[in-house]
Amino acid sequence: MSGPESKHLDFSSISPSEFFYRNRQMAGFGNPAQATYSTVRELVENSLDSCEDAGRAPVIAVSLETTASSQVVISVEDNGLGLPYDEVPSAFGQVLYGSKYGLRQKRGTFGLGVTMAVLYGQITTDSPVIIHTQSDNRGWVYRLYIDIENNHPLVEESSERIRSETGTTVTVRIEGDLPRAASRIDDYLRLTSIATPHARLVLRIDDETTLDVGPWTEILPPQPMEAKPHPRSADTELVRRTMAGKQALSLKDYLIGSFQQVGRKTASEFIRFLGLDSKRRVGDLSRTEISRISSVLKSYDSFSRPDGNSLSPIGREAFLKGVQSLYEPEYFSYASRGPLEWDGYPFILEGVIASGAAFPKGEEPTLFRFANRVPLLYDASDDILTKSLKRVSWSRYGIPNGVPWGIFVSFCSTKVPYQAAGKQSIATLDEIESAGLALFRALGRGALKQTKRQKRSKRSQKRMREMKASLRMIARFSADLAEVNTQYADELAANLFRGDEQ
Amino acid sequence: MIDREARLARLQALGESVLQDLKQETFPVVEIPDRGTGNIVFDENSNQYILGTSRVERTAGNYRHIRSFTQLMWVASYAKSLIENSRTSSLRDLYYSSEAFGVEFSDQAESDRVIADLESLVRLSREEMGIYPEENSSVYGEVTMRYSVPGYEGREVDLTISPDGLPIGPALMSSDPVESNAEIILAVESGGMFSRLIETRSWERFNALLVHLGGQAPRSTRRLLRRIHDSLGLPVYIFTDGDPWGMHIAKVITSGSANSAHISDLTVHDAEWIGVTADDIEDYQLPTEPMTDYDLKRLDELANDVRYRDKPSQSQIRRFKELKLKAEQQAFSRHGMDYVVETYLPDKLE
Repeated sequence: MSGPESKHLDFSSISPSEFFYRNRQMAGFGNPAQATYSTVRELVENSLDSCEDAGRAPVIAVSLETTASSQVVISVEDNGLGLPYDEVPSAFGQVLYGSKYGLRQKRGTFGLGVTMAVLYGQITTDSPVIIHTQSDNRGWVYRLYIDIENNHPLVEESSERIRSETGTTVTVRIEGDLPRAASRIDDYLRLTSIATPHARLVLRIDDETTLDVGPWTEILPPQPMEAKPHPRSADTELVRRTMAGKQALSLKDYLIGSFQQVGRKTASEFIRFLGLDSKRRVGDLSRTEISRISSVLKSYDSFSRPDGNSLSPIGREAFLKGVQSLYEPEYFSYASRGPLEWDGYPFILEGVIASGAAFPKGEEPTLFRFANRVPLLYDASDDILTKSLKRVSWSRYGIPNGVPWGIFVSFCSTKVPYQAAGKQSIATLDEIESAGLALFRALGRGALKQTKRQKRSKRSQKRMREMKASLRMIARFSADLAEVNTQYADELAANLFRGDEQ
Repeated sequence: MIDREARLARLQALGESVLQDLKQETFPVVEIPDRGTGNIVFDENSNQYILGTSRVERTAGNYRHIRSFTQLMWVASYAKSLIENSRTSSLRDLYYSSEAFGVEFSDQAESDRVIADLESLVRLSREEMGIYPEENSSVYGEVTMRYSVPGYEGREVDLTISPDGLPIGPALMSSDPVESNAEIILAVESGGMFSRLIETRSWERFNALLVHLGGQAPRSTRRLLRRIHDSLGLPVYIFTDGDPWGMHIAKVITSGSANSAHISDLTVHDAEWIGVTADDIEDYQLPTEPMTDYDLKRLDELANDVRYRDKPSQSQIRRFKELKLKAEQQAFSRHGMDYVVETYLPDKLE
């Protein structure tokens, strides 16, 4: 925003659509290749969230079509709940409209990304987004644009069109670069299949299926519970927002009703600590008092840890299953840390360490990062988890020892502290760093144990074979000395190992 | 040497004991006399090293023993076929033969060790099992031996048959002395001296059976010395370089070595070392070299060795220590080619 024209812009006069368009690099739409990848990513994540809301195993089909010009038609189809027909225009044609407000683990937030993709397509190719959805038994199709200046959907077509099952298909045409984005998209879908092992993901490029992975497990993860905010995550804005409509409540009832981990006892203690009267009505609080409440909420250390039920970790079985199916590793081991807390938000770190030819060789394991089941493909070196990985002395765990290793780390939280708006790396926070180190070390120990066990069992099998062969020779040489027949000697030697066959 | 049937019986007994263990569904075990240094004792009566009573157990149920157990049984079966077919094999030959039977030795040192295990286990020397080292020890003189090896049974050989001397191999070792014009046995360390003594016909002059030791005498040579000494009653004289190593060549012949402690009948207790002594170096004004630290250290070791406890040995060591000089047998050549035959040996032997 440093150009000469921006000087004269009154900030409040820019619509959110315009603001996002001006800052498209930040959102991952900086160049055609990146935009192609980001569009797929945003649509897929929306679809996965939608299927999980519906409590069904996602089947997501991504299809990419090149056209004569440098345009790419991207279409993502899901088997989710479908959208209520009258909500479609706002969901796709208006920035800052979204269903993802509650505090529970979600892939995207506020549906910003999809609108960004729509916006980008419209600007670069002057084409509308096409949404074909079914939430009853019939189906509806929309073609719409965004009125950028007014941040408002412009519906070009809205008509009934039968769709065989519930779900949504979104099609956008953008200025893209498929050759350069294709392998990224392929990586992204494979890794998504690790993080969402109950999904089936299909990629079609110009009508040819190039990838069809999952599901690796039939079991759907339990739905994360929606939770009230934790008091330590409360800033003035949140406090003010949660007070809206509760002017008549006492301060105590407001606290109990608005935050998790705050019961009657905790609320009373907290208000005593504040030095306020617990019967004060919320509506009577002054601005300074409100700001004081929020700052003390953040620092008061007697609140219990935030609730982990609003999280949906991948889980040991499913995580291992996915890694096993896609990478066929020789050794693999799982570990997890949490639920822990960062600034009032619960988080869990889980990881799988694996070795096998599928991974690149290196001094330390290759890191694959996930945040709320979304693979992070860019900005690895800025990520706190990458930094923690480098701090572990892997040789202590017999790694790499000539074998290629990979580590899959999944961070999940009700809020992901991204380093930047690109949402590709996790910020440097002490709590996450120490959990990361602990996780990596646990994975290292797991790997060491596994390699040792496998080596031991290989060695003992080898020894057993050698013993058998040697005993047979000893028996034969003895038979020669004693002048008895060889067959008899072989039988005697074999008898010695009867029952050891397993 | 015990007869063929008795040797085969010992090997057969070993095979039967292993099969007996297997029949009872237990892992076979053998108890081998311990050849570790802790179990080698110097026997005052026979004045040689012998094994003590300690034994080591080798069991096929122990992964660490299984390899050497297999090797041991293979060597036994190989030895059996050597004895049965009246064949011989060199140590090196045996080492190479093992491969064909799927038995592995990492080097010849390992197969040599296993052979020694078998020797002490069945109380047969390797020569009795047809296994010989490759050695270049030889003999020359007016003694007639009768072969007992297959194809040569009863044939006699005059040990003056070759002007180069006759190599001491398995056939000669197992042959029996028939008659002799020799009155003494003169064993010399170096090949050069051996040739000189043959060329100068000194064997005639001294009525000597000449034996070339070729450094530390191989077992077969020591056994032959013992055999001829015992059956013909010839005294044995040993002529070596004048240094601690030469002294020890003589001492192993008289008192045995630690490596062969499990084998008997190798020593000639009353053999005599004639020189080169420290006194000889002075008396005959021999060209010398100064002793190295290594030589001096060896003298210290010998001084503390039980086999050198007798007074003459101690005084020899002391003289060398004072002199700090050494001389080879060939050193006599300073005084002319035949000086050693004309002057030195008559001084010593007559």
